[in-house]
Amino acid sequence: MNILLAGEGGQGVQTVAKIIASAAKKSEKHVTYLPSFGVEQRGGVSLAFVKIQPTPISYPRFKNADIVVAFCNRSIESIEDFLKENSSLIYDDSTIENEKLDLIRNKINRFIKISAQKIAQEKYSIKSANMLLLGALSAKLSEIDPRNVENEILAEFKDKIAEKPQIKDLNIRAFREGLDLAKNFRQDTLSGKVEKEIKTEFSDDQKTWIRFPEYCKSCGLCLIRCPVKALKFSENNGFLGNPLPIVEINKCIACGKCMEICPDGAIEVKKNESK
Amino acid sequence: MAELAFPKVWKKKSKPHKFCPGCGQALALKILGFAIDELGIQDKLVYGCDIGCSLLSWDMFDLDTIQTHHGRVLPTMVGFKIAQPDSMVIAFMGDGGGYAIGAQHLVNSFMRNDKVTIILINNANYAMTGGQMAPTTIGGQKTTTTPVGRNLELLGSPLHGPEMLAPIAAEDAYIARTISTNYEDCLEKIKKALQNQIDGRGTSFVEILSMCPVNWHTNTQESLDFSEQEMVKVFPLGEFK
Repeated sequence: MNILLAGEGGQGVQTVAKIIASAAKKSEKHVTYLPSFGVEQRGGVSLAFVKIQPTPISYPRFKNADIVVAFCNRSIESIEDFLKENSSLIYDDSTIENEKLDLIRNKINRFIKISAQKIAQEKYSIKSANMLLLGALSAKLSEIDPRNVENEILAEFKDKIAEKPQIKDLNIRAFREGLDLAKNFRQDTLSGKVEKEIKTEFSDDQKTWIRFPEYCKSCGLCLIRCPVKALKFSENNGFLGNPLPIVEINKCIACGKCMEICPDGAIEVKKNESK
Repeated sequence: MAELAFPKVWKKKSKPHKFCPGCGQALALKILGFAIDELGIQDKLVYGCDIGCSLLSWDMFDLDTIQTHHGRVLPTMVGFKIAQPDSMVIAFMGDGGGYAIGAQHLVNSFMRNDKVTIILINNANYAMTGGQMAPTTIGGQKTTTTPVGRNLELLGSPLHGPEMLAPIAAEDAYIARTISTNYEDCLEKIKKALQNQIDGRGTSFVEILSMCPVNWHTNTQESLDFSEQEMVKVFPLGEFK
């Protein structure tokens, strides 16, 4: 059984891979786990290759995956080459966009979709999204006892649970919900998030303030540097699932401080030419 | 669109770039981009970057780029400049590459008075490897290898690059220190350093104080405060030559 997990660095891809690999080991299987990610400290696509089989494993890497778990929108491009006819895809339809799924639509016959981020945000905590996907993955692996997986979750988060005891309950409940959702899932159409229009341009007759959601990483420098405190975080999310800044245009004095301080070139302010 | 936010010389295709949110190095690279735009030297410029976080800038610009072994970006770019004296070269490095593993090249380059522009980012730690102590780590600063703060008596004082190089630099060299969060000052000093090379004068060197929120474990406000107050106290800004 070849399992490929792909997501944004920081989403807990490697944690899920580690847990499933140790749980497989406890269930007396041969298992390898190969993490693969870039040199960046934050962001970038992070992959994990997990191989589980009853016989000894000679090589941990593979070209064809039996199960692919996609955590984020950008991961679709990375998993494309690993899909074959009978691969099954587990994906988060609250972050992966419909348009992106078109890339792999004709390669997918079997899939499970779980609105992991949405459910995690509403019921648990945003960081538990990976536990929902772990639950769905473990539903597909009939040879591994879910109780073993739960034990491994507790072992993995031992230090964090000692600090904050509520983490134990959150993660276990999220895992169980993922497991149930995947078991009761009836395959329908392969669909994802429909991208909603994000307002990027704010203007009045003197100035225009533009923000590029595809570049913004929500570092918050613009909010601090604004001398009139006209900026704040909105509810719309950028490409990392991060909140995007918006401006109250009537407060804005078009000084351009936010544009100067932005390390990502994601903000532009201009004074309109007088007519 | 976006002429004001984005330097023309930035490669659109590779954005969003690979730096962490709130990184001062990305900010310095944006200002460097605007300096290149203003001087209009894109066509004859060759950009070299070192290993460390600075290598994340290898596809940042629409320029011919060389990415070298750790600490060896300066000799590589000096070699390029000797082979093609009409070209312009930038050696971009971090404090690890410039002040630790590649410090000898910096000294020798100034002794030979090579006609190159050196941009060095000082973020007071080794960021890419996870925040270890660097030669520029300031007294009392906590890193993964100085968990109780850097003890200056035991580990020595932070290295002051521009102050060290100014006495050995030739008359026509340019040496300055600036900070990534001060747009005007940073742009002016980078432009002066590049102009020095355009005019065929000596080595030009700019150290840029940067921010590393991820490895400093600071939020946005604390990162700004650390960079603009704590670091500036130890590393005074200004022109040294």
